[in-house]
Parts: sequence; structure tokens; C-alpha cells
Amino acid sequence: MQPAIFAAGIGKSFRTGFFGPRKQVLQEVDLEVGPGSIFGILGPNGAGKTTFISILATLLRPDAGQARVLGLDVVKDADRLRERVNLAASGAHFLWCLTVEENLKFYGRLYGLGGKALATKVGELLDLFELQPHRRVTFERLSTGLKQRLALAKALINTPELLFLDEPTTGLDPEMAQHIRGEIQRLNRDAGLTILLTTHNMREAESLCGEVAFLKEGRLVARGTMPELQERLGLGDRLSLFFKDGPAPLDYGRLPGVLTYKAENNRVDLMVDRAEKRLAAILEEVSQTQSKVIQVQLKEVDLAEIYHEITH
Amino acid sequence: MRLPTDFYKILAFATRSALVNRRNVFAIFEMLFWPGVAIFSVGLLTRFLKLDPETVTFILIGAVSMNTIQIAQLDLSYALLYSVWAKSLKHEFMAPIKLAHILVGAGTVGLIRGFVVFVIMGFLSMWLFDMDLARPGVRGLLIFLTGMFLNAAIIGALVLALVLRFGQRAEVAAWAFSYLMLLLCGLYYPVSILPLGIRELAQIIPLTYFLEYFRHFYGFPLMSSHPLLYGFSQSVVYLGLCYALVQYTLKSALQRGTLLRLSE
Repeated sequence: MQPAIFAAGIGKSFRTGFFGPRKQVLQEVDLEVGPGSIFGILGPNGAGKTTFISILATLLRPDAGQARVLGLDVVKDADRLRERVNLAASGAHFLWCLTVEENLKFYGRLYGLGGKALATKVGELLDLFELQPHRRVTFERLSTGLKQRLALAKALINTPELLFLDEPTTGLDPEMAQHIRGEIQRLNRDAGLTILLTTHNMREAESLCGEVAFLKEGRLVARGTMPELQERLGLGDRLSLFFKDGPAPLDYGRLPGVLTYKAENNRVDLMVDRAEKRLAAILEEVSQTQSKVIQVQLKEVDLAEIYHEITH
Repeated sequence: MRLPTDFYKILAFATRSALVNRRNVFAIFEMLFWPGVAIFSVGLLTRFLKLDPETVTFILIGAVSMNTIQIAQLDLSYALLYSVWAKSLKHEFMAPIKLAHILVGAGTVGLIRGFVVFVIMGFLSMWLFDMDLARPGVRGLLIFLTGMFLNAAIIGALVLALVLRFGQRAEVAAWAFSYLMLLLCGLYYPVSILPLGIRELAQIIPLTYFLEYFRHFYGFPLMSSHPLLYGFSQSVVYLGLCYALVQYTLKSALQRGTLLRLSE
């Protein structure tokens, strides 16, 4: 089966200042993404995520390498490719004085829609993203969450086969971020849309992406499913149990989901694959030893830790 | 050009320009207030100087042309500036559009607005300062208007290229370019009084010839034997060059990452 995204040896550099030296932003990036999947590109700020996604989205030309999206070359076939893909980015920006409906109509026309077809499509998207009550509100008066919903609606105006999402939930409150994640999952599930998303939110990547890749200083340093990567690195959430009278007499290594552990004085530090899922079972095992737990501390594994492990 | 998808892409930019103009109080100022001020101030100055009717007409033609071209080129110049201000440039170029869609779409609104300004200023000139605007006839008026709009398109396309290269900093060019061109082409004075060297520059500006053509209906001598030939051929060449320049700057923007920087 033809991959939805194929990139080989992608390199990109930018000149710093007018006569300054060139800064290498991407180096030898190879990637293959299957159709119908949600694939995450992770990495800290400045890792080259947006540059990479922009090259695939035809907004930037690579200096080196070749990239094909939906079987089309991102440079030579850019016009044809643009008809079949779309993009939503963090911090949605559209013309401030146009209403939600006018903005959608503007972008619909840019994709060659008009007349009844445009009206139907805009109506569908307003319904889908619950924007009907705000259809006559100008963009500048929308809340951040509504702006982001409009950005997603705009990204679907041409019924794309592949969607690029550049940090789609950055800047949103947790509730709205969760809502947007739900929409992304639904689009992938119901419409079979291939989605490539960049994020620096580990939980987001975990909940959305079947597979992820890490970028570090412009290089792709690891890729795999989240469990694969966590297992490969032996990483997980940190669960600390504080006992009143010394640690419970248990073989902590055999507790469900425990990857590693360290017992010290009245404290036991456990590395658990998913603490929120395992916590109840672990506490149940501990309680059967009659030992008294006086405090529980939980620190979920974050991108920084995995990233640190991958890159050091 | 394929229809109707190309038509809708053009319509997108035309509708957007029209909506922005409708909701922008400054757009009303651009079309009514400043042209009104221009015709009053220039007209009253000619009265104060007790100029003969032919000279008054000569100067009023300059005032009408200046404002018509200014307004007509603004919509084209602003077509990308709107996107730069809204930080939405990458979304526009993410769509399968061509530069021609932007130029024709926004240019059409500019043409309509320019025509409205021409009509308003022409009416004020006739009513307040007895200018006989109808003397060149419908054909003469249409040729003059076409010439002005071609010049506005050249300025607008140049500004588009600058916006794609320099972003928001090019905003000032939207005004500066037209003033520079109007200064050189003998707007309020005959080109013959320009110093040597500058006069030669005036001859490579198409508007010079269209002004000369229109003014000859009012008894002013033609400086060149075929003003329309020079005016139209220069306009076509410059438009072609400007289009190629905008294409080049877009290609360069895709290489340099300008579209992304202007969307942040």
C-alpha cells in the first residue's frame, strides 16, 4: 500500500539575518506514514516540527531530499496536492472583520467551491463544530476555543484526504483541548482521515497518535508507538509511596505495571507504565500487607523525560 | 482559465476586499473624504491664483487622476496585506490558488472603487469649478480610465511583490510608489518643465502618455506622436514584468520561509 506520507533525506536551512550564516533546521529526515493513521511529530520548541510539517504542506520548499504526500511530490505537484490536503495550526488566525461564516465561505471559494455546494459544506461544518450560534460573529470577537474550532472547520472545507495539525491545542484550556482532541479522533475514525500532528504535549500524543516520531535539533531521533518507546526506554510515571513504619514487605517489581523501583527508608519510588491506571491495584496490594501509607505522590512521565532518555 | 472553479477563487478575493471595505470606516474616507478634500483644495487654489479655465482643467485632471489611481491600486496592494495583518497568509497559499486569482479578484474591487472616485471627483469638478469633463467623449473617457487602471494595476502588483519579500514593512510602499510615479508623470504640470534627466524618466511611465492624451482634448499639445501606443505598450510590458516579479517573489518566499514568518 502506498504510504500517505513519504519523506527521504529532507533538509532545510535558513539564513539568520540579511548576511548572516545559515542555520540548519532539518537534517536528513526520513519518514513514512501509513494512510488512515494519526501520526505525531514530537519535540521541544525549535526542534523543526513546524518546518517539517510546512514542507509536507507545500508551504516551504526543502533544500534537500524528496517528499511525497498522497503520492504527489510536494514541490513539483504542489498545486494538485493542495486540493487534497489542508492545515490547521495553533493560535488560529483569520481575517478579523469577517464573520465565522464569511471566513469559511472565503476559504471554500479558494478551493473552487461555490453556489449550493459551498452553502451546504459551510452549513455542515458549522453544525459539526457547533459554530451555528456564532456564524455571524466576527473573528476578532470569538473566544480562543471558538477560533480553534473555526480553524479545524476551515481545515475540512475541501474535504481533505490528509490533514496537517500544527500544535492544534496549544493555548487552549484543558476542557477545550480535550474537546478538540475528541474532534480529531472522530475525524480520523469517521472520515478515515490521515492526520499528521505536531505537539509537545506527551499526553496529547499518547491519547491521539498510533505512532510518534521525535525530532531533536532537526534530526529524527526515534519513532514508534508510545508503548514501544516507553518500553524501549524503560520509562513510565513516577509513583512515590510514603509509609508510616517502613516500606511494605512486597516484591515491588512484580506489582502490576511496575517497570523499576527503589526502596529507601520510609519511601518507595516506583516507575509505572501508567500510574493512573495502576494506582488502585498497587494500593490494594500494599493494603493487604497491613502497612500504612501516609502519602502518595504521582508524577506522570513527560516529554522532557522521554526526550532526555532518547537524546542522551 | 477553467470555470467555474477559477471564477470562485477570483470571487473569494473580490468578496473579501468588498467586505473589508464595507466594514472599514477608513475605506469611506478613502473614497469620499480625501478625494473631496483634494478637489476642493486644488480647485480653490486655482481660483485664488486666478488661473484661466484651460489651466484649471489641466490641474483638476491631475487631481482626479491621482485620487483615482490611489484608490484603485489600494485594493490590489492590500490583497496580501490583509492576510499579513490577519496572519493568515499561509492558509491562503495552502489553497490551490494562483496569483492571477488575487490580482483579478482584488483588482476588480479596486477598479470599481476607483471608478466611483473618478465619478465623484468628476462631478465635483464640473459642479464647482466648471470643468468640462465630457469634452473628450465616451471613447476618450474610457481610454483615459483604462490607462489609469492599468497604472494602478502596475503599482498594486509591485506592492504585492514587496509584501511577499518584506512583509508588513512594505505597507508604506502602497502609498509611496504611486506618489513617486505621479510626481514624475506631470500630474499638475507639463512634463516639459521637468529638469533634464527627470523628463526622460517621465517618458518611461505610461501614465504620462494617458494624461497627455486626455489633456489634448482641452487644447494642450501632444508631446509624442502616438501617446496611446506608448502608453498601452508600456503598460502591457510593465504588467508582464510585474507579474513575473510577483511570481518570483512567491517562489522565493516558499524557499525562504517568508509565508510562515508572515503568518506568526
